[in-house]
Amino acid sequence: MGDVHEVPRPRIATAHLAQHIGKPVCFVGRVVKVHPTGKLFVLSDGEGKHTTVELSEPLDEEISGVLEVVGRVTNQATIMCMSYIQFREDKSPFDLELYNEALKIIHEFPEYFPCG
Amino acid sequence: QRIRSQNIVPCTVSQLLAAEQVDETFRIRDVEISQVTIMGIIRHAEKAPTNILYKVDDMTAAPMDVRQWVDTDEAGSENVVVPPGTYVKVAGHLRSFQNKKSLVAFKIMPLENMNEFTTHILEIVNAHMVLRKNLMSALRGPQSFSSAGVGDMGGYGGGGSLPVNGLTAHQSQVLNLIKNCPVPEGMSLQELKLQLQNMSMATIKQAVEFLSSEGHIYSTVDDDHYKSTDAE
Repeated sequence: MGDVHEVPRPRIATAHLAQHIGKPVCFVGRVVKVHPTGKLFVLSDGEGKHTTVELSEPLDEEISGVLEVVGRVTNQATIMCMSYIQFREDKSPFDLELYNEALKIIHEFPEYFPCG
Repeated sequence: QRIRSQNIVPCTVSQLLAAEQVDETFRIRDVEISQVTIMGIIRHAEKAPTNILYKVDDMTAAPMDVRQWVDTDEAGSENVVVPPGTYVKVAGHLRSFQNKKSLVAFKIMPLENMNEFTTHILEIVNAHMVLRKNLMSALRGPQSFSSAGVGDMGGYGGGGSLPVNGLTAHQSQVLNLIKNCPVPEGMSLQELKLQLQNMSMATIKQAVEFLSSEGHIYSTVDDDHYKSTDAE
């Protein structure tokens, strides 16, 4: 668990994976499918693009809805997940498209939203 | 010149860690801040007799220490520890002790709607951009306000509520008239009222009071006459 949570983790969408190979990132997306082994799942970002997330240990729970994943981008442009949380949507659905628009803003103005 | 933010400023943990301390105040890129809000996940929670120490992670840096003092006399909701893995909004004061930054929270609220998080990150960009623009304008000093060219007010704060050049539109107009008045005893309030048909005497007086307290103008023969401190 340790190290990745002590450093800056830029928030990215699928389109940014290539620019972050080997680096810690934070990815938010909706669960599309989970591999039967539980060691791999696919998330869809606010633009509908898919990212594959891998786990070192299989999932020990059902996952669904919107997940926020912290991990490192692999050479294959997948994310090796170190931790994740599920966004609560019991009161209101999460607007993933709006989140994607917000990502564009924070990437455009790093002087006002520094990451690291 | 100091631009102090009187409001609670939404920030990233990275901004708080980078804030410079001068005596008792903190500045993020020269803008003074005191009360701030952050949003992040609770990574760790430790309960002590008089306080709860949380580590709150917003992904922009390592998790930040957030301390919430507990009222030891009352058994109430303040004593309930928010569990790790919860997304929270924290409102508090920035502190630094032995070069380590932390927050003293006066409010910690679990987020019930994660869209608030999206709003928060947009508010951070907006707030720091506006504060920076105000600071830059104030450093340039008061400039003539010509009705012909208002220029780009930016999209942030719009309307008359956002001061341009550190002064509101009304204040700028009043200052401009006073500056351009050739008479030795300066401009009178009555004269200002004649020239500024769109402004009430109350608004003019408010503007004059502000400009005077900021040092842009000074009273001459009496409290009704003012000259500009700028030698032109």
